[in-house]
Amino acid sequence: MGVSRRGFIMGIGGAALAANPINRILAEVINPQTLVIGNIRYGMVHDETKCICCRACILPCHRENKVPAEVTRLDSLDNGTYRELNKNSRQFVRKSCQHCDNPPCVAVCPTGASYKDPKTGIVDVHHDRCVGCRYCLAACPYHVRFIHPLSKTADKCNFCRDTNLAAGKPPACVAICPVKALTFGNLDDPDSDIAKLIASKTVYRNKLYLGTSPKLYHIAGKFGEIRG
Amino acid sequence: MNTAFHFDTLVWDWPIAVYLLLIGISSGMVIIAVLLKRYILVVNAADDGVIKATTIIAPLTVILGLVILIFHLARSWTFWYLMVFYNPHSIMSLGVMLFQIYMAVLILWIIAIYQAKISDIINLAWVSRLVRLIAKGERGLDIIMIFLAVLLGVYTGFLLLALKSYPLLNNPVLPLLFLASGLTSAVAMAILCGLMFYKQSVHSPSLAFIHKLELPLIIMEFGLLAVFFIGLIFGGGQKEVAATTALRGFWGAVFWLGVMGLGILLPIALKLLCSERTKFNKAYLVTMSAIGLCSVFILRMFILYAGQMVMA
Ligand code: SF4
Ligand code: SF4
Ligand code: SF4
Repeated sequence: MGVSRRGFIMGIGGAALAANPINRILAEVINPQTLVIGNIRYGMVHDETKCICCRACILPCHRENKVPAEVTRLDSLDNGTYRELNKNSRQFVRKSCQHCDNPPCVAVCPTGASYKDPKTGIVDVHHDRCVGCRYCLAACPYHVRFIHPLSKTADKCNFCRDTNLAAGKPPACVAICPVKALTFGNLDDPDSDIAKLIASKTVYRNKLYLGTSPKLYHIAGKFGEIRG
Repeated sequence: MNTAFHFDTLVWDWPIAVYLLLIGISSGMVIIAVLLKRYILVVNAADDGVIKATTIIAPLTVILGLVILIFHLARSWTFWYLMVFYNPHSIMSLGVMLFQIYMAVLILWIIAIYQAKISDIINLAWVSRLVRLIAKGERGLDIIMIFLAVLLGVYTGFLLLALKSYPLLNNPVLPLLFLASGLTSAVAMAILCGLMFYKQSVHSPSLAFIHKLELPLIIMEFGLLAVFFIGLIFGGGQKEVAATTALRGFWGAVFWLGVMGLGILLPIALKLLCSERTKFNKAYLVTMSAIGLCSVFILRMFILYAGQMVMA
């Protein structure tokens, strides 16, 4: 089933509607970019109310995906300290590729090295085709791409597509998180953990106004403003 | 560690500004040369210093610009992928196509200019026949050439405009601004070459024509810059932040002194203040042209660096 967030909530609202093929076809006509019918559309949720910024997610990402230490595919950024019940609480936001459904990095790439895999919705790089022009690094509004120091090609999170995912395991960062702040799965499957989580919480996505349709969802921290 | 030349959100650094400058010169010189050919030097265009300079500098700047670009790739040796794989959604890829067409037509256009000389030097029947064939299409070549040169002039603007990640660059005025500043740099280049290498008279028809273009171009550039920033400021949000950030600090100083001061106010003031005699003094013209070229380079540096300071 294809899902934009609104379509998704409607779908959850009535199982009959969600299963109705006419609804799916209509939805694709209305919003073809964000809808892939009958396929997997991987996404991720980062729960800022749970994240403690232990940075445990960063290490296995480097190890599993052979990312040299001077660069990183993900980061955890400070989002302010707040007072709660007489103790200070800190909040963090995840910085990593949003796997945009309408990815600017793919649109600008002159050689087609940057691409979105239509079967999974994962945005990835054909490393053997990348010339290292850095156009995609500049075009990404989330500033998560870098030139890999060894391959000299553009690199970023690919949901562990060649490593853990290929081996049938959840992405390395998701698997290791001690507080289960990360949820990964198929946004198009209403029974998946991620779909249920998004349906049951207030979530936000970054820079929606740019039309990128990111697939990294955030559950906002308890305090302060959302800097989306 | 954030400085004016190294900051976290910076992706493309100064060699790209040199590339932008070179492409602007090529585009501007071809536009001016076609106008000269069609309206001023109706006969014997091949003997004019500015036309001669264009036939050398227009291809050279493009080649040099592309060489810089290739060495700026993280994997320079794979540059030929760009000519094998295309992505019609990518401005850069469309640019690669444009460069190839531009160079091909430019060569034909130059052959057409030197038709008589080529036939004199190379005494082969088939060569003269070929040259005559190309020369027959001279009118058409002129029109295609000016069209391609305008495309090339706006192309560098579109290259940066396509980055929705940076509000200052993602600005519809940018292609026009780059086209205008490309023409300004071409005027400066033409005067420099005409005077220094071809010992052309300051009063020759071509230099007099180019001289007349200077002031309107500067005023146009000023107008475009004003619209550029006023649009950003009234755009609010990150656009406004991008504009105000760019106009302050180190890059702000570069803008006010280098772009506004050297590029716009100084030439306008001198035009108003200097006597006719000084204005046609050779040393004065050479100095002003050199300053003009510098100010165009400063503009490209400013747009490139200040443009990458604030993200959407
Ligand atoms: S977050 Fe950046 S790198 Fe990832 S898909 Fe979107 S534009 Fe591309
Ligand atoms: S750096 Fe590589 S992936 Fe990125 S735009 Fe250039 S060729 Fe494409
Ligand atoms: S999904 Fe995989 S590649 Fe992406 S940040 Fe997590 S560990 Fe790294």
